[in-house]
Amino acid sequence: MTTLIVIDQAPYGSWSGREALDMAFSLAAFDQPVSLLFCDAGVNWLRQGQQATELGQKTVEKNLAAAPMFGVEAILADGPACQRYGLDDSNLLAGVTRVEAVEPIIARHTDVLFAG
Amino acid sequence: MSSTALSYTLVITGAPWASQAPQTALEFARALLAAGHRLDRVFLYGDGIHLASALATPPSDEPNWPRQWAEFLAAHQVPAVACIASTLRRGLVNETEQARYELPASNLLAPFEIAGLGEWVEGRLKTDRTVYFHGSGA
Repeated sequence: MTTLIVIDQAPYGSWSGREALDMAFSLAAFDQPVSLLFCDAGVNWLRQGQQATELGQKTVEKNLAAAPMFGVEAILADGPACQRYGLDDSNLLAGVTRVEAVEPIIARHTDVLFAG
Repeated sequence: MSSTALSYTLVITGAPWASQAPQTALEFARALLAAGHRLDRVFLYGDGIHLASALATPPSDEPNWPRQWAEFLAAHQVPAVACIASTLRRGLVNETEQARYELPASNLLAPFEIAGLGEWVEGRLKTDRTVYFHGSGA
């Protein structure tokens, strides 16, 4: 079983993305192969230099930084969505892989799960 | 009657009244039992945990989704677990958590229980199908 967790909503407006991240970490902690895919407005999770203290929240950048430690296999970003939101090599978080299309990524996982 | 009986885990992430997720999941659960399948467990996550509130009190001429679910779970002896991280954030606690955090009340509806995401991970591994019931996503 290989799981892909898809986050398609921008950070901070809802807790569903953070809770989807917890699901990914949980799978990884139980040695279940899992990757994260950010698409649509969800790619904004991957922007460098987020200053969430202005909002009274913790930055999601910190949550995401724990992904490799838990054993999340890959952090993937939809390339066209990155382009739409002005994300490129200069401002994308380290360790993120941009993909040209999401369909082949979805196809190679046995389970695909969307953030609620 | 299905020729091959399957085991299911249902995950509900949409809240009652804010979404149709609990209602749709209940109809799905009834249908899969009627078709001869097995419901191994129900896992509430995110806003879905509001389904396990003992304090939901809709007007008497409206459906009470927590109560309907609780009756269904008891009748069919299906274990149902609400994620502990989701419940604590949203103010749903059992007596153990009430004592631990020194809270003024507890409000978990029986037979729902509170446990960690490990229950979800185990459900995915042990059952043939895991089906998700989300809210609007807004």
